[in-house]
Parts: sequence; structure tokens; C-alpha cells
Amino acid sequence: MPAETSSTTDVVMPQLGVSVVEGTVIRWLKQPGDRVDADEPLCEVDTDKIVTDIPSPAAGTLAEILVNEGETVEVGVVLARLSAAGSAGLRAGPVAGEDDFASGVAEIVSPAPPARSASLYFSPVVSRLAAEHGVDLASVIGTGRDGRVRKQDVLAAVERPLHTESPYRAEEPAGQLSRMRRAIGAHMKRSLETAATCTTWMECDMSRVEAVRRGAKASSLLGVTPLPIVARAAMDALRDHPSLNATLDGERYTRHEAVHLGVAVSLGEDGLIVPVIRDAHLLSVEQIGIAIRELARRARKQQLTPDEVGGGTFTVTNPGQFGSLMATPVINQPQVAILDLEAVVKRAIVIEDDDGNDVIEIRPQTILGLSWDHRALDGAQAAQFLGALRRRLERWGD
Amino acid sequence: MPAMTYLEAISDALREEMRTDERVLVMGEDVGAFGGAFKVTDGFVEEFGEERVIDTPLAEAAIVGTAVGAAVVGMRPVCEMQFADFVACGFDQLINVAGKTHYRFGLAVPIVVRLPSGGGFSGGPFHSQNPEAWFMHAPGIKVLAPSTPEDAKGLLTAAIRDPNPVVFLEHKHLYRRVKGEVPEGTYETPMTARVAREGTDLTVIAYGAMVHAALEATDDLDAGVEVLDLRSLVPLDTEAILASVAKTSKVLIVDEANETCAAGAQVAALIAEHAFEQLDGPIRRVASPDVPIPFSPPLEQAVLPSVDRIRDACRDLLDY
Repeated sequence: MPAETSSTTDVVMPQLGVSVVEGTVIRWLKQPGDRVDADEPLCEVDTDKIVTDIPSPAAGTLAEILVNEGETVEVGVVLARLSAAGSAGLRAGPVAGEDDFASGVAEIVSPAPPARSASLYFSPVVSRLAAEHGVDLASVIGTGRDGRVRKQDVLAAVERPLHTESPYRAEEPAGQLSRMRRAIGAHMKRSLETAATCTTWMECDMSRVEAVRRGAKASSLLGVTPLPIVARAAMDALRDHPSLNATLDGERYTRHEAVHLGVAVSLGEDGLIVPVIRDAHLLSVEQIGIAIRELARRARKQQLTPDEVGGGTFTVTNPGQFGSLMATPVINQPQVAILDLEAVVKRAIVIEDDDGNDVIEIRPQTILGLSWDHRALDGAQAAQFLGALRRRLERWGD
Repeated sequence: MPAMTYLEAISDALREEMRTDERVLVMGEDVGAFGGAFKVTDGFVEEFGEERVIDTPLAEAAIVGTAVGAAVVGMRPVCEMQFADFVACGFDQLINVAGKTHYRFGLAVPIVVRLPSGGGFSGGPFHSQNPEAWFMHAPGIKVLAPSTPEDAKGLLTAAIRDPNPVVFLEHKHLYRRVKGEVPEGTYETPMTARVAREGTDLTVIAYGAMVHAALEATDDLDAGVEVLDLRSLVPLDTEAILASVAKTSKVLIVDEANETCAAGAQVAALIAEHAFEQLDGPIRRVASPDVPIPFSPPLEQAVLPSVDRIRDACRDLLDY
């Protein structure tokens, strides 16, 4: 029989992404003395905006926690120690002759984590309502048998946010900003303090893009949003203006051959995240559209990995879907420029017809905005890039 | 409005239609001199004469077959099967002749076959059946099953005036137990479902005597239980069924008939196919098991859907 002081296993801070060097323990899901199975989550670790569960490397008992909640440590640091399954672990000292039966009893009396929902099956109407109203079913407390989420539970969850939208927000208890809000705030503040941010705007006629999108011409782009088209055109323009597809880290300025395209995704009240489409310059409009949808979907489900939100070389943001006309976006450090796509609206504009006469036409117009870092470039380059982008959009499909 | 029993309302409908339309006649075993086994046609032979109130031999095939012939030449016969169970003897005339004549020859067969149906009184296996599903499966025949005196009168009137063969199920258990206000004069009740009680938490779908069992079973439940009285099985009011399911998302279907391929099975299939995304629980059924109705009173009570069984099923679904 092996010695009671059988081997222990270290739980270390893993390398959660190529660019990740440290992580913060957010919450321990197990306490010393708890039994854990292999791959069962031990704690949550935060790297920038991504929260990841750290799985147990082996079955056993959590013997010791070495990094407390809130502490930030480098990759490779030991977070906790496990004692092997069946060994004494924390217990003061094994009683001679204690057998498997006794340790079995100890397992039974140790408190089990409360079960959230016994049933992971959602009925058709529950699934449909959740999808229609954007309700995250994992967050809904079920009142049906064995905690099943029922129709009325989803409807109650749909009702609830409406109350918090009421104008009487002063009644809400004061609270600390969420972790994500603090991270966004720190990131934005650092960018504004670091970069010499300027913003340049240019009007653009979107008739061709809208025609393709809305099916006036036979095209596989029928029904796509303007964003992937503008992203594709922007990457084409970057090829001629590579000074914008770059990063500036201190005084170290680097142009990049590939475009790793950041796309800002709103998470509603929770905040914002910028997943990165790697090697986006190799993708068609259709592929960009699919990639954006997929990243946004995973972002909203908090399934992104740290590598998927780092390493961008250029970023696009698209608040225009909500109707806004202009903005001064903050540069996503250490990049040197961010392109802002705003609403496409119909305007009466003056154009020159084929005979050289000025005529007034109704055209879908948008204002392309570019925030750029005056440390790395000058206004001429920004305007030239925007001009190149505008030409591509106004001649889309030629 | 006068209060009438379910039986009196059926009698009233027949009498009113015979008074207003001389093409209407009744025929069946003991319907004349004896006034019918359940006295539905009591006094009819005195008022309308033996030509229009015809006592027939014990031969259901002959009754239905004669009625089909009379209908084709312009009459509006109303046949009484002494018990619904006996209609099996007239099956060929009803299914293969009455139901298909319009499709084969383009001829209308405006007959009504009245079926005193249902159990609950120790009638045994030959006098207690609910054979409505046999006719639902046969194209060309309408199938009605009222639960209240008002609907019994209005639906029988509508059946007599309908150009198609109509099987009219009148539940024997309701004949003298259910009483209600019935409009005077003649009127037709539409062949659609009726909301017997409104609710938002659960829909109980039933017809005939089971409507009353469903109402009783859910009366004191602490929930809003909607009770839908189908009234007509062919045509089936799919719109009303789907609307109620969309509202409550949970369904219990009650059949007094044997469970397999009963009317409720068709309703369940309809909901599964067209309201899947509305459901928040399994479609549940309460019906008689697939055995003949026993003569023994305790056994019969064990077989027929009871108020308790319906209530338990409702509670189970409400908790789900």
C-alpha cells in the first residue's frame, strides 16, 4: 500500500495564449479539502478581458491554495497543490487502519457545490423565446421540476431588464464597475494618454455598395451588411498605404505585411470587445462576413480565447448600425489607426452627369472616419488612405 | 330561455327540424311506438305519423342503406342507432356508401346517424363504446360530439341541414345529468371548438362527457387552466387548438375512447407538427386503455378517465 503522504500535483498558471504572460485569479471554485476530478474547473483566471476556467490536472483533493483571489501572477507560477486521490491531504493525520470506507464517508460529508439546474434540456418554446429576446438561458433560474427553466421563467427574464431601463436609475444601488468596464476604461485611457490622436472624416457615396447589398445586381453579397465590404475595401486601400497597417510601441514603429483585422463587437451593457480576424487580407467579403458573425457570436457567449483578441494590426468599428453619423474613435493600442463606419443615410447631393451638368441626386451617403496617431503618421496619409477607400467603395463592383 | 336536459335539447332539435322541413324523417329501432330506447323521439309518431317516424327491423345496415337511398332522392333522414356500438353492423353502408357517394357520383347524402355513446353506467362492452375515431378515419363523413344542451341542439340542427353524412355522438351519461339553458326556435351551432373556460397556464382539450370531467378536475387547481371543448371532430378546429396551445404552451388531451388512434391522438399529432416551438412540456394524454369497457362497476371506473386521473395529469404538467 502506498504511503499516506502520497505525491502532490502542482497546478500552474497556464500559457493561455501566445501573447499572454500573466493572469489574475478571479475566483476559486474549489476550497482546500474539496475533492476534484481531473479536468474539473478549479478557478477562474482573467487575462485582459477573457475569463478562462483552469481545469484540475488530476483527480484528488485540493490541498493548498497559493495564489489568492485578485492576485496577478506570471505564467508558470504554482497556483495550488493537489494531493493524489485517496491520500490524506489536509487531514491532520491519518488514523491507523483507516480504510477506503472511511475515506468514502469523508467524501460524502464534504459539501457538494450547489447544482444550478438539474436539467440542461430546454423545451422548444423556451429555446425559441430565449433566441428571440436574446436571453442567456444559463443565467435564468428555473422554477420547474428539478430546476427546469420554464416558459414563464424566460418571460420573467425578458421583463426584468426593462425595469432597469427605467429613468429612475438613481434608485439603483451604487456599485463597483465590472471587471470588463475597468479593463476597457484602462485600455482607452492609456490609448488617449499615449497616442496623439487625430480624427479625419470623408464623405462617401455608397450607391454601388447598397445596390450590391440590396440585390439590384445579381451578387453573392445580397443581404450582407456594409461592414465586410468596407473592411475588404479598407484592406485593399491599406495595401497602397501600408503606413496605417502598423503598430507603434514606444518609439518602435512596425509595419505589418499581413492584416490582422480587429472588429469591435458590442456586448450590450456589459461592454465591448475587439476580436481579431487573423490574415483578414486573404479573405473574401463573404468570408469576412462569416468570420465577423462567428467572432461576435463567440464574443457574446464569452467563448473567445486570449489569442483571438490580441495581435491586431488595424481595427474597424461600426457604431453606424445604431444610426450615428460621426465619432472620434479611440485607437486600439499599439495600432496606429482605427476606421469608423457610421450610418448610411440618403442625402440629396450634387453630382456631375455624363454631359457635364450638375444635377441633384438622392444617394445613400456615409461619413468614413479615421482616428490616427500623429506620432506615427500625418494628416496627408490619413486623407490619402480615406480617399483610396472612398474610390474603392464608390466604384464597388467595377 | 328554457332550461333543458341534454336529451331534451336533442329531442327539441329533431322536433323543430321536422316541423320546419317536411323532408326530415327519423328511423331506427323502437323510435316510433316506444319513443326510442332513451325516449328521444317520445311523442314523435303521434305528431308526425308513421311515415316520418319509422320503426325498423334490427338491421343497422338496412337502416343506414335505406337512409342513403332516401337522401339521394331528396329526403333528410335522421337514423338512430339504439347504441353507438351497433353502428358496426351498418359500417359498410356508412363508410363505403354514404361517405363515398359524393366522391363517386357527385351526389349529396344528407343523412345524420345519431350514436348514443359512452360508458359509466355498467353497460358492458357492447353498450359503452366511443367509436368516433372510426369515422374520423373515413373521408366524407362529418363527426360531431357536443357536450352541452345548447350545443347539442344547435349542432344537431346544423347536422340535419348539412349536405354531407354526419355522425352525431350523443353521450348517454350526459342525457339526463346535464341541464342548461337552450335558446328557443331553431339555430345552428358552428362546427368549431368552444373555449369552455379560459386560462393561461395549461390547455385541457376534450369533447363530449370529458369536457365536464375536465372542468370538474381543474376547477379548484391553483392555476389558470383553459378547457377547450372540441364539439366537432371532423372538421377539426385546428385554429382554435393551435391558438390555445400558443397561449398556454402545455397541453393535456382527454379521450374517453380507447387510447390508440383516438381523436386525441390526431390532436396530439397536429400540435406536435404545427406548434412544436410553442411547447413547454410534453403533450400528455389521458384516455381509456386499449381494452373493451368492462361490465364490473369497479373495473369500469378503473378503465374510464376519472376526474382524479385528469387532475393528477394537470398537476404534473403544471409542475413541469
